[in-house]
Amino acid sequence: MSKLTVSFILNGEEVEHETLPNRTLLKMLREDFDMTGAKEGCGAGECGACTVIMNGQAVNACLVLAPEAEGSIIETIEGLSDGTHLDPLQQAFIDNAALQCGYCTPGMIMTAKALLDENPTPTYEEIKEGISGNLCRCTGYKKIVQAIQSVADQNRVGHGND
Amino acid sequence: MRPFEYFRPSSLKEASELLVRYGDGGHLLNGGTDLIVRMRDGLTLPSAVIDLKGIEQLSRIREDEESVYIGATVNLNQVGRHETIGKSFPYLAEAALSVGSKQVRNRATCIGNLCNASPLADTATPLMALDAVLEVFGPEGEREIPIRDFFVFVRKTSLKPGEIVKGVRVTKTAGQGVFTKLARRKEVDLSMVCMTLLKAEDGWRLSYGAVAPTPVRLPKTEALLNQGAALEEVLSCAVSEVKPIDDVRASREYRLEMVKVMLKRGLEQIEKGGAVS
Ligand SMILES: Cc1cc2nc3c(=O)[nH]c(=O)nc-3n(C[C@H](O)[C@H](O)[C@H](O)COP(=O)(O)OP(=O)(O)OC[C@H]3O[C@@H](n4cnc5c(N)ncnc54)[C@H](O)[C@@H]3O)c2cc1C
Ligand code: FES
Ligand code: FES
Repeated sequence: MSKLTVSFILNGEEVEHETLPNRTLLKMLREDFDMTGAKEGCGAGECGACTVIMNGQAVNACLVLAPEAEGSIIETIEGLSDGTHLDPLQQAFIDNAALQCGYCTPGMIMTAKALLDENPTPTYEEIKEGISGNLCRCTGYKKIVQAIQSVADQNRVGHGND
Repeated sequence: MRPFEYFRPSSLKEASELLVRYGDGGHLLNGGTDLIVRMRDGLTLPSAVIDLKGIEQLSRIREDEESVYIGATVNLNQVGRHETIGKSFPYLAEAALSVGSKQVRNRATCIGNLCNASPLADTATPLMALDAVLEVFGPEGEREIPIRDFFVFVRKTSLKPGEIVKGVRVTKTAGQGVFTKLARRKEVDLSMVCMTLLKAEDGWRLSYGAVAPTPVRLPKTEALLNQGAALEEVLSCAVSEVKPIDDVRASREYRLEMVKVMLKRGLEQIEKGGAVS
């Protein structure tokens, strides 16, 4: 089996990286780039704990092979804040106490980010549906939906109530 | 995961040659939502993984006056949100959006759903009802396979060695259709039974998933519907045309009962003029 070089943009930075093909994008991010935000829950597409944004779309990093990253733009939870300011979603999760153990949180936030990028002002129902690919064993979801809702509300004000 | 070689060819010819070269060990990778899970579980052990996503021509939905063509690497969210598909085949759009989660559908393709040949493949029943045609590229050139002849058994299709599905074509059909999926949860769950009922200009079309080794059409029941037979007769005929099994998701008995319930409700819905379920 030969190693491959994959070039992609990771949180805004161009990277060129050697990897074996028989591993997932999730493993590569966690083990080679020390980006341990995305978690492996099920490893089979069921739980969403591994969600990252690939070319603008939320995907399960456990169902992408490392070499499939070639030429793509990948965003992970680590790229959300600029080091000083949290992303509004991160702040909203804190303000609404939308996490307990935190295992699902990076995936949940990346899913919510993709949702809001597509539709900045989703309804309550759209938020619930939007995060239905992410499981949380702790919170009961209510506060998670509230947190996302609060950012949607800010957006709504920003958008002049459209 | 066991070691394998990864290829990302840029043409169908190249991909097909790789498939032939690696024989049984060569596996096509599309969205990977079936294949990667199987590789992880050690159920499929490829010596070569041949990624189709580098083949530009497979990535589009095309349409003309008569038909819509879904390329092999088009994902299920793209299918579900496509304007013409939503208008002309709302039940196909709905089936596409019923698969997995948003994240899964951002990768999973309609063609992968068909080629995986699971009896419960959600996009299979609308495409069966539409008499869709698969366009195939292979070592001996191109050919077309009507979807009725595509599924052979659980996880087995009529594709020959080295053949690759380029896309699936459906003819625009006037009519009303209903897709119904019965699952234990609303999201991210597999069908216990799924069904498409279509009232086309030339008559009724009915297909089910998860009630036989492959998705099936029910020609006898369709004939009874066309003759305007009594409901009871139609329903018992439908039950006689399927062969469900007991599994983790549902019992045979329950599935048989649901075949009737879903058909009855589907007929009511179409009667009321609801095009979408
Ligand atoms: C969490 C989760 C939930 C799911 N829920 C559902 C559900 O609700 N309903 C449902 O029906 N399915 C479901 N699935 C299964 C899967 O997502 C679908 O079957 C999906 O459409 C497969 O498409 P893919 O592109 O990912 O296929 P892949 O995994 O890439 O390929 C599947 C198979 O088809 C072959 N293949 C792919 N493309 C071609 C081609 N062009 N020519 C020839 N052979 C080809 C591959 O070699 C492989 O054997 C689920 C999967 C997961 C992980
Ligand atoms: S770890 Fe990827 S979906 Fe669960
Ligand atoms: S906070 Fe523990 S899983 Fe969601």
